[in-house]
Amino acid sequence: MRTIDAAAWVCLLAPLAATTTIALLGNRLSRRHAGYLSTGTTMISFAGAIAAFAAMLGESPAARAHATTSWTWLSAAQYHFGFTLLTDQLSVMMMLIVSGVGSLIVAYSVGYMDGEDEERRFFAYMSLFVFSMLLLVQSGNLLLLLAGWGMVGLSSYLLIGFYQERPEAIAAAKKAFVINAFGDATFVLALFLLIQHTGRLDFAGVFAHSPHGGTVANLIALGLLGGALAKSAQIPLHTWLPDAMEGPTPVSALIHAATMVTAGVYLIVRTHPLFEFAPKVADLAAGLGAATLVMAGLIALVQTDIKRVIAYSTMSQIGYMFVGAAAGAYPNGMFHLMTHAFFKALLFLAAGIIIHALTGEQDIRRMGGLGKAMPHTRRAFLVGSLALVGIPPFAGFFSKDSIIAATLDRGAFGYCLFAACLAGAFLTGLYTFRLYFVVFGGEQSEFAKEHLHKPQGKLEGPLSMVWTVTALTGLSAVGGFLQFGRVWHPLTTWLDPVAQPFVDASNAKEAIASICAVVLGAAGIYLAHAVYAAKTIKVPKPVTLLEKKFYWDELYDALLYKPAELISQGLGRLVEQPLIAGSIGELTRGFRLGAGGLGRAQNGLVRSYALAVASGVAILAVVFLSTR
Amino acid sequence: MHGPNIGWYIVLAGMLFVIGAIGVLVRRSPLIILLSVEIMLNGANLALIAFARHYGHEDGQVFAIAVMAIAASEVVVGLGLIVAMGRRNVELDVDKLRTLRG
Repeated sequence: MRTIDAAAWVCLLAPLAATTTIALLGNRLSRRHAGYLSTGTTMISFAGAIAAFAAMLGESPAARAHATTSWTWLSAAQYHFGFTLLTDQLSVMMMLIVSGVGSLIVAYSVGYMDGEDEERRFFAYMSLFVFSMLLLVQSGNLLLLLAGWGMVGLSSYLLIGFYQERPEAIAAAKKAFVINAFGDATFVLALFLLIQHTGRLDFAGVFAHSPHGGTVANLIALGLLGGALAKSAQIPLHTWLPDAMEGPTPVSALIHAATMVTAGVYLIVRTHPLFEFAPKVADLAAGLGAATLVMAGLIALVQTDIKRVIAYSTMSQIGYMFVGAAAGAYPNGMFHLMTHAFFKALLFLAAGIIIHALTGEQDIRRMGGLGKAMPHTRRAFLVGSLALVGIPPFAGFFSKDSIIAATLDRGAFGYCLFAACLAGAFLTGLYTFRLYFVVFGGEQSEFAKEHLHKPQGKLEGPLSMVWTVTALTGLSAVGGFLQFGRVWHPLTTWLDPVAQPFVDASNAKEAIASICAVVLGAAGIYLAHAVYAAKTIKVPKPVTLLEKKFYWDELYDALLYKPAELISQGLGRLVEQPLIAGSIGELTRGFRLGAGGLGRAQNGLVRSYALAVASGVAILAVVFLSTR
Repeated sequence: MHGPNIGWYIVLAGMLFVIGAIGVLVRRSPLIILLSVEIMLNGANLALIAFARHYGHEDGQVFAIAVMAIAASEVVVGLGLIVAMGRRNVELDVDKLRTLRG
């Protein structure tokens, strides 16, 4: 076995080993050690990813794709699908992000979940989540990718509903699962079409044999897009993501930064030829991404739960990635996916430190003035916020602006996307710094004075929480220097054999996009400062439309839930009660009567039995004789 | 072939069988019922032997001997039970012996 294949298998299987070990050992493993085991194996997984990456560096770009099949996983008629891992430039990049950021988040959870009941279950699920996502990004054919896809949905369900005694958590978990199942279904339909038209599901074969253009190509791309929309929480399948905040904070960080929501972007980039065969669907994906990024930005303005604000910002940022990936700027989308993983994990984990210090409070209206008490967390949060808004030299500036520049290369439709992206940039500045100023600025609130508790010593939280946040702060600050426009673009070069972009923004366009985005982001920050810190502008009343999140939940309630409820109630009243319940009652009554009558025949009189036998024989004799 | 026609044998066997059956149906003493069952078996035996003679096969005779052996063992068990019941002063009336009806 080649080194690179061995590294890929280690990377994939290490988290699964942790899950099984924790599950099998049960009480024999202490809670603390379950956390360490989970962290350690995720780091082994990261080491495997690094080893694969290092081995790949020594090869020529054209020979960097390695497929390794362990066994034929599924065989039916002339179709054979192997348990195949594909290690190429794109998957190794995702492996590094998933296992790297994932291991930081799992390490952080050791401190965050300390003292919780059922820590072992938590860490088993966390490792399972990382394994599922690695399976998704490492799979060498679409069928295995679907398996990872479904397992990501399952793990998210288990973790969102981790606090199983809270009804809201269970409802949120079910919502996430059902919406994702819808996406899975459209994904599966696309796979059926691919099998029908190409007879195979490995990436290269599918891309080579899939129909170019026409209804079938459109349907395939649409099915894949449906799956991506559900996983990545884009309009119209986005409503599960904010509710998913019911899970513990590290879970939110894992869902938003390393796993799950980035899967949709990965899918589009991975199967980009299928989207290139169906340009209308690709445009639809970009349009939905643009709509989501503006809508989520608007909703984030009025949310009062610290985690929900960050959740809406994730939706918004994934919108950027969708715009980038669907507009043909694949490396830019992947680049933003990476930097977003850094600063979104940072924001969530910093928020987790605050929530931890305030004994579980998440409402920003009860926070305030925390900056003085927690200067390190404030600094980390500031770096994350600046990276999110895209202020140079922090990570978001490089990645987001490259996507915005790419839209300028897409003609008239591109200009619409460009406008939406700029509006999003302004909103990002506004809502991010609203959060920052409300939480950290001003005087300390009554609630904070009463409840704020810091652990003994100089640190603002448990050690495992502080060092991971510090590491992510560093990554968010410098992670963007990986690529800068057309000047310095190793990532584009790296991904070129797998996902060659078909847009290439000129230097002038890059400059225009960057200047516009930074100015608008800064304007958003300035406005947030004026309203929430300097208080020169009165805080406007929140708009009901935004507070109700554009009525999506109500719409789905009226469109899907209510009719289904009405139909089932009607069926219950008109069909079940009279027909099924009624007929069963009548049947039992009939049997009771019949059995009672027959029972009377058993009277214990031998002679009446003999008579019955004799008459039976007589009747049979007559019947046989007459029908002879 | 000497002797009466097969029809006569069958009629006689049928009469024996019906007499036995009527005895089983109308009498209440287990002793008489047992006796009537024997008459029915003999009716059947007569029919078997008559057909054996008619067709010139021995099979019917073999069956008749088997039936006799079984009837004899049955009588041993039945009579034993009835005698045991008589010794214990149980009233010998099948209409009263219905406690085993379940």
